[in-house]
Amino acid sequence: MSAPSNIPRRAGFLTGIRLVCGRELSAFFDSAIAYVYLISALVLLSSLFMNEFFLTGRLDMTPFFDSLAPISIFLLPAVTMRLWAEDKKTRTFELWMTLPMRPGQVVLGKFGAALALYGMFLAGTFPIVIMLMNLGDPDLGLIASGYLGALLLGGLFLAFGTFLSGLTGDQIVAFVSSVLCGFLFLSTGHPKVVAVIDGMSPELGAGTWLADHVAALPHYENFLRGLIKLSSIVWFVGLSSVFLWMNTLFVEKDRS
Amino acid sequence: MIRVQDVTRDYGNFRAVDSVSFSIGPGEIVGFLGPNGAGKSTLLKMLCTYLPPSSGTLEIVGHDVVKDSLTVRSLIGYLPEHNALFETMRVSKLLTFIGKARGLSGALLEERIAWVTQAMTLGDVLKNKVKECSKGFRQRIGLACALIHDPPVILLDEPTHGLDPLQVVAFRDFIHELSEDRAILFSSHILAEVAEISDRLLVLQKGRLCMDETMQELTARGTKENLSLEQLVIRALEQSSQAREAKA
Repeated sequence: MSAPSNIPRRAGFLTGIRLVCGRELSAFFDSAIAYVYLISALVLLSSLFMNEFFLTGRLDMTPFFDSLAPISIFLLPAVTMRLWAEDKKTRTFELWMTLPMRPGQVVLGKFGAALALYGMFLAGTFPIVIMLMNLGDPDLGLIASGYLGALLLGGLFLAFGTFLSGLTGDQIVAFVSSVLCGFLFLSTGHPKVVAVIDGMSPELGAGTWLADHVAALPHYENFLRGLIKLSSIVWFVGLSSVFLWMNTLFVEKDRS
Repeated sequence: MIRVQDVTRDYGNFRAVDSVSFSIGPGEIVGFLGPNGAGKSTLLKMLCTYLPPSSGTLEIVGHDVVKDSLTVRSLIGYLPEHNALFETMRVSKLLTFIGKARGLSGALLEERIAWVTQAMTLGDVLKNKVKECSKGFRQRIGLACALIHDPPVILLDEPTHGLDPLQVVAFRDFIHELSEDRAILFSSHILAEVAEISDRLLVLQKGRLCMDETMQELTARGTKENLSLEQLVIRALEQSSQAREAKA
């Protein structure tokens, strides 16, 4: 038998992220999760869109993106709830934490896998775009902007879902807390909710403050109107990064 | 290769490991013995960087486990007590994943997978999913994952748990073959097993190290005092308890 090497060897930063991402993505497809998720999400959202399309007859995907936001409150936590909670339940958390990888690599790999699955779902809706193009001349810029908004909104939902999954060993708790968090991000931007909160304490203007600083809906609606604002991109990417960073901190803390 | 200096680990008000010091050099196989809750797994978890110590220092090949945890992780092979594995992965994919995560690639990765597959006799289950494997195979898959990167330091928590008697004998021979140039620390509840495999015995009780002797020293002392190995260990545990009570 050869003598062991005392030279430390480990995967590079990006290689590590890619490895974790591949392993988590294959875990989605090894069970029925990915298939059930993709098929149910595509059937549900396509049906809602087609219903609206036959009623209005407009060559426009805005109704699709409109219905995507509230449905994401339930769809995306179903993807993220298992990411860390299952590792804690099955004790594979210890395996992750004793591999020569930084916690950030594992967090980004898991997030990347969830984002890739969501990307597959969005790619699965491209036949709608092809159908609209065959029927007439839809505004492709508006559609592309809507897809960018959907990707950024999904990224935010997946980021806080991954973070919340890391706080618990129970998938149900991870799911429910992610649904509540998603509801908070979307509802605070709704005009009626803003009016109700402002009405409770007009001098504080809490509803307006929440809509300006916490709500995802106004940023998302910019994309649906075809407005690709740098501030909105920074808001989505920045907030998602904060959740992923907090996830890394809590994973590190969990070891102790 | 392994140096533990005055290490203490507290869980809240409970002291799991209390001022433990020892060191292990290359080529040594050290058995870690003690009753349930003695602190064996906690100490192994600290050595593999999973848990930080409350105080004291732990070093692997000269690297501090807290300050240089990534380097330490790449230098150790660790088999945890519960040996949790990714259940839905096929065994071959799991070995490839662990090998790549440990920085192996290309021909070296293939060579190491072939080596652990042969050493752990995993050929029959390579295409199976981990969840389809028996307990004995799962334990061998865990060992394969721990050894795939040819680490100089090997930490095994209850490695023979789930193995049948023939597999235990094979494991014992394998560990002896492996020990050349490597430091091996393994925990067990079973004294006979530790005595068969190890060159040196560490006995922990309630977090304190109450025995640290080579098997040769123990055999000589047993002959001199006309006591069996079992009696020597029990006496050490009793003396440790009495000293603790007297101190309290």
